Amino acid sequence: MPVTGGAINMMEYLLQGSVLDQSLESLLHRLRGLCDNMEPESFADHELVYLLKGQQGNPFLLRARRSLLHPPAPWHLRYLGQPEVGDKSRLALVRNCVDVSASHGLPEVLNEMGFRMDHEFVAKGQLFRKGGMKVVVSKLSRVLVPGNTENTEPLSLSYLVELSVLAPAGQDTVSEDMRSFAEQLKPLVHLEKIDPKRLM
Amino acid sequence: MGVTCVCQVPVSEGKSVQQTVDILHKKLEQLGAVKQGNFWVDCETYHATGNATGQPSKLLYVMHNSETPLSCMALFEGGPGLSADANFDVLMVKLKSHFQNAKGHKVESRGVRYRYCDFLVKIGTVAMSSSARGISVEVEYCACVIPGDCWNLMKEFMQSFLGSNTPELPTVFTSKAEGLSVPVDCMDTMSQYLELFGRVRKQQVLPGSGVR
Repeated sequence: MPVTGGAINMMEYLLQGSVLDQSLESLLHRLRGLCDNMEPESFADHELVYLLKGQQGNPFLLRARRSLLHPPAPWHLRYLGQPEVGDKSRLALVRNCVDVSASHGLPEVLNEMGFRMDHEFVAKGQLFRKGGMKVVVSKLSRVLVPGNTENTEPLSLSYLVELSVLAPAGQDTVSEDMRSFAEQLKPLVHLEKIDPKRLM
Repeated sequence: MGVTCVCQVPVSEGKSVQQTVDILHKKLEQLGAVKQGNFWVDCETYHATGNATGQPSKLLYVMHNSETPLSCMALFEGGPGLSADANFDVLMVKLKSHFQNAKGHKVESRGVRYRYCDFLVKIGTVAMSSSARGISVEVEYCACVIPGDCWNLMKEFMQSFLGSNTPELPTVFTSKAEGLSVPVDCMDTMSQYLELFGRVRKQQVLPGSGVR
C-alpha cells in the first residue's frame, strides 16, 4: 500500500478460514486461476506481538513484523482497533488499521516506550492479489527459543487463509465483493468472519 | 544525503536573533552560496502517562525534517531511535491515552536553505511557543557519507562563515563504537537537532525575543 500519511481512518476488512496441509495444493491451484496473473509472492516473516499495559482498560497491542527472506527490508508495524460493532449481518470483520514502516531500531524503541513482547511466531506462505483484495495463505510456527527463528515447530496441521482489503472507512461494497470472491473458493476453504473476542 | 553537522550560533552582542541570522545570510551570499528554498525541523515531546513504577517516565521525542517529508523520527535522549513513515504520527494519536503530547514543549527551527557547491547550509531560527530562542546552523557535505573522510573539509568551510563559532566534531560521531568510518544516517542529524533543542529549552528566554 503506498504511504498516504494522515490516513487515520483506514479500515481492514477480513475473512478467515483454514485448510489442512494435504488440501493446500488444490487451494493454491484455484487461487492461481482466480487471482491476478502474476507469480504468487512467497514470504517468510517473523512477527512479534507487543503489549503496553496502561492504568486502566485493555492493554494496547502492536504487531511488529520483519521479513526473514529480506533482512534489510524495514519492519512493518501494525495497529488493529476493536472490530466495528453494529450490523451483525455485516459480511466481514471490520477494524481500524494503522500500518507503519519502521527502521531496525523498532524493538528497542518499543521496549523503551514500555511495550513488552507478549509472544512471537513465524509465518511462511504465499500472497495472492485480486485487484484491491489480498489473499494470504500461511503456515504459522511457534518459536521455541525466544528470538531464534531457525528453531520452530508448526502450530497445527493446517494453513491459515486470510482474505483482506484495506480501504477508507465507509465503503460497504467491499465486504460484498469479498463475499462473492469467497464463494468461488468453496468448498476448498470456507472463509468467514471470525470475531477475535470469541477466541479469548 | 551526506555528513551533517548541526550547531548553535550565539546571538551577536547587541543584536537580535533576526539581525544575527541576516548577518549569516550575508556572509554566505558573499561566499557565493545560492538560496534554495526553505527548511524546517520540528520536535514534539511525548511523556508516558500512568507509570506504575513511580519513576519519572522517559520522554519520547517525535521529530520531522523537511528534507525527508514522508518520514518521522522517534527517539529517546541518549537512547534508541527509529525512523518511520508518516503514519507513525497517526499511531501516536491512537496511543494518546498512554502517551501525552506536551504541546508547550514543541520546538522548531525554520529558515533558509543555501547551496554552495557540494554543501547545503541551513540557517534556522529556533522557536518555542512562537518565541525565537536561538539560532541553529546545519552544514551538510552531500558528497560524502563517512564523517572521518570529510570532517576537516567541513570544518574549514564552516570557519569561512562561522569563524570562532565553528563547532568541534559532533559527539554523535565520536561516541559510535565503530568510530568515524561508519556511514551516517538521518538519525545522526536528528540526534544533533535534539541535543540543540534540549539546550535551547533550558536556556533563559532571550530579551526582546517577543515573549510575554
